Amino acid sequence: MNTPPHTASPHTATPPQASGESVFSVRDLWKVFGPKADRVPADQELAALDAAELRERTGCTAAVRDVSFDVRKGEVFVVMGLSGSGKSTLVRCLTRLIEPTSGTISIDGEDVLSMDTGRLRELRRHRAAMVFQHFGLLPHRTVLDNIAYGLEIQGVGRGERRDRAAEFVTKVGLDGMEHRRPSQLSGGQQQRVGLARALAVDPEVLLFDEPFSALDPLIRRDMQEEVVRLHREEGRTMVFITHDLNEALKLGDRIALMRDGRIVQLGTPEEIVGAPADDYVRDFVRDVPREQVLTVRSAMRPALIGESEAGPALAPSATVHEAIEAVARTGENARVVEDGRCLGVVDHAGLLGVVAGVPAATGKAVA
Amino acid sequence: MTATVTPVPPESTGSDASKTPVNSKTPADSATSVTSASAGAATTTTPAPASTDAGPGALRALARHRGRLIGVCTALALVLGAVLLGGGGWPTSLAVDLSGPLDRTSDWIIDNRDSHPLFLYFLGHVSNIVVVSVRAVYLVLLALGWAGVTAAAGLLAWRVAGVRLALTSVAAFAACGLLGMWVPTMQTLALMVVAVAASVLLGGLLGLAAGLSDRMHRILRPVLDTMQVLPAFAYLLPVVLVFGIGVPAAVLATVVYAAPPMARLTALGLRDADAGVVEAATSLGATGRQRLLTARLPLARKELLLGVNQSIMMALGMAVIASVIGAGGLGDRVYQALASVDVGAALAAGVPIVLLAVVLDRVTAAAGERIGAPAAHRSALVRNVAALLTAAVVVGGRLVDGLSWPAGWTLDIAEPVNRAVDWMTAHLYSGVPLVGGTADWAGHFTTWVLGPLRDGLQWLPWWTVLLAVGALALLIGTWRTAATAVLAMAAIGVLGVWDPALDTLSQVLAAVAVTLLIGFALGVAAARSSRLGRALRPVLDVFQTMPQFVYLIPVVALFGVGRAPAAAAAVVYALPAVVRITAQGVRAVDPAALESARSLGATGRQQLFQVQLPLARPSLLLAVNQGVVLVLAVVVIGGLVGGGALGYDAVFGLAQGDLATGLVAGAAIVCLGLMLDRVTQPTQRRDPAGKGA
Repeated sequence: MNTPPHTASPHTATPPQASGESVFSVRDLWKVFGPKADRVPADQELAALDAAELRERTGCTAAVRDVSFDVRKGEVFVVMGLSGSGKSTLVRCLTRLIEPTSGTISIDGEDVLSMDTGRLRELRRHRAAMVFQHFGLLPHRTVLDNIAYGLEIQGVGRGERRDRAAEFVTKVGLDGMEHRRPSQLSGGQQQRVGLARALAVDPEVLLFDEPFSALDPLIRRDMQEEVVRLHREEGRTMVFITHDLNEALKLGDRIALMRDGRIVQLGTPEEIVGAPADDYVRDFVRDVPREQVLTVRSAMRPALIGESEAGPALAPSATVHEAIEAVARTGENARVVEDGRCLGVVDHAGLLGVVAGVPAATGKAVA
Repeated sequence: MTATVTPVPPESTGSDASKTPVNSKTPADSATSVTSASAGAATTTTPAPASTDAGPGALRALARHRGRLIGVCTALALVLGAVLLGGGGWPTSLAVDLSGPLDRTSDWIIDNRDSHPLFLYFLGHVSNIVVVSVRAVYLVLLALGWAGVTAAAGLLAWRVAGVRLALTSVAAFAACGLLGMWVPTMQTLALMVVAVAASVLLGGLLGLAAGLSDRMHRILRPVLDTMQVLPAFAYLLPVVLVFGIGVPAAVLATVVYAAPPMARLTALGLRDADAGVVEAATSLGATGRQRLLTARLPLARKELLLGVNQSIMMALGMAVIASVIGAGGLGDRVYQALASVDVGAALAAGVPIVLLAVVLDRVTAAAGERIGAPAAHRSALVRNVAALLTAAVVVGGRLVDGLSWPAGWTLDIAEPVNRAVDWMTAHLYSGVPLVGGTADWAGHFTTWVLGPLRDGLQWLPWWTVLLAVGALALLIGTWRTAATAVLAMAAIGVLGVWDPALDTLSQVLAAVAVTLLIGFALGVAAARSSRLGRALRPVLDVFQTMPQFVYLIPVVALFGVGRAPAAAAAVVYALPAVVRITAQGVRAVDPAALESARSLGATGRQQLFQVQLPLARPSLLLAVNQGVVLVLAVVVIGGLVGGGALGYDAVFGLAQGDLATGLVAGAAIVCLGLMLDRVTQPTQRRDPAGKGA
């Protein structure tokens, strides 16, 4: 019911700003490690082998297999998978920190793989900045100079880059710590520095490589909220790598779920949880509290006569959890209202069906 | 005190587990040696005859019985050899007399030194630059005057290392003056400044190349590895051949000797730089140069400073030894004094060497440790006041009483020391009831240990020696180390110095045996008793910083001259490293293993022999390796105090201008060093699997 996984027209140069345009457009991307890696994507037979067979036959490991997706302007695109699924390799391929084996990547319609070193450096300096799992801070520099490091690489003068870095110290909430060294900060604070460093170069896209995996759960939640806040304030495009499903569901506008180098499902959190593409995904999302992810649309049934006036009103983007609360409080069925028009009704049966993971008798429908 | 232990084994944290800076007399620092030990443990998981190159399954069975296999092959070869080759020393038919060609080369160089373009346009300039720069530094030091130099040293130490070391430095320099050694100290210092600057530059550049290029790394590593196991003495002869005796030769020998640790540590620092940080720099669009300057080099600062520290210590060791080829300064005073067995004079020159070593080491080490800690904010005012104070001291010193150390302030220790030595000679050398005397001990050691050992080795048929070398190397190391060891030993025979080499070898073996006996016992005791460990630590620290040359002074005082004192000096020199590595190895044993043994009711003895020692095996092997190489370095220098053999040939060659003899002896020393290192090299150090051997 939602948009298809791939929006069309990746290769033609498109003007930015238009929402819905893709920033990154990836097609048929392969990354194979090992001797003579080139032959694997090229050979149909080899490309079809699974990981163990491929290693046996060629000594190669395919970290990313035939992956295609688009990252749209302004969205948070989450790539999720367990360790070894190729997600970190994938994000590094985007700016060629790891050189892809085959396929195409374009940023704003410009082919990344054909860029020369100067152009590529330009891309890394101004258009895509990355936040790392292990921070990658320079231990011998102060917080301020770490944040200014990207600007220094661009050749910005010392005074100016420090002034600009100082703004971002405030933005990520590190006031008063400008002159500390990374070793004097907690993990969460270090990652704030990493985040500020990436933000300071004002990139078009922020790339996050499992940025919060090394942090304590409480700190992690703070940082996730920080990212949500930043995204709300600035609307910057983000590509976010994680192995944490809850994190993916919390942050992602769309999620690509990876397994063994392939994307097994790409869709909104609601689609992933509500309509798993295969058993692997189903297994994966089994423990997710569905009522907190799915919206009332999935529990809605057409309104019967007279129902469209009574009961509490909910927006279509409200979660099932909220609907349950409303229904429980009022004791009445809730209406789903958009622009003053009643789209449908949620009742006990529909809501329980969502929670139980079975289609309710009255179920879905009416989009 | 923690700020002490210096040079860390360069690559001990890397894949190459245990290659420690052998010559520098400064192996392991607690942390790194532990890693080196555990890294070693990782590579040699199976204690007994470990499998070599993880071959396919068929070879595995063979590898398991390797010890037995080697034994059988050795026995077979013994029988075959006895039938085919007979006994006796190295056959003359297999020896090549190099003295003719070497003499001719030496003569040619002497004849052409002033005319050949190679000398005119390259080596001559090198030589001149060295002379001029040493002279310049020396003049600057003299112009500062004793007050200025002392104040400047204090100020520098205060800046990089704090108040305590500043006071130590001032006291050390004052002591040098007090002992009447101001001028020689400045001569040595001038030579050191130039040599260290050059070797840090050279080593840094080589390290940069090896750090940035894998191919350079592959080429340089074995060369640097080998250079670090060669005795300092071996470096002297080639430079003398080219430059003749004098300051240029001394400086260049020092540079070549001191550069490898800098190169190794630079390469290590660059290669070990946190990959995440470097990737982050790349992701921000850094160019290669930006990455190097803003990330990789700063990340390697600790290793770089450690490299400087090691270079300084090795340079000091060499600058002192190089007195044999005209370095002048403190080393020369010791050398001259030893030549006339004037222990008092030797000590008066030896004490400043030790003081210089301690100050240089502690200050540079402290500078290295400061890194990472945020800089202490000292106000500019304090700094300026201190600088002004120094300037005032310089000027004041000049106005008051000129530049050289005031003559009235010296303390002549030579005479009282000599009196004490005379008393010792009279009362302690022999005839002390029950214990005998030091000279008696030395005599007995020579008669009962060194003599028979030498004669036995020389009596052995030459091929059995080769066989033994090969079999031993195979048992401990790999086919490759065995091949190198056997070839090196054969080369000694070919050079025609089989007998003196075996003489040297016998001294090495005897000294190593004593060293290991005492060293293992002390090391185990220090590991098991933390009180003893704490008590030993400062002693080991001081002993590890002293240049090898200095050790000759007390042994001559105690034992006179001869082979036994040389061996004794070698034992004292090698002991600290062996004790330290052993103690760290035993202490690093997995506490869980020890705890489980204890929970099963093992006695202290059982714990030691069944758990601690077997698990510490890699460290013990490393200790043997270090011990052997360190002992060789001093046994060779023992040629100066009557050790005879190869060391004497080398000294004789230098002293008499008979370079052919000296060079052959030098080459044999190199071969002996190589052989001894390879024979004791712990297994799989050069395992192909351990990336980039």
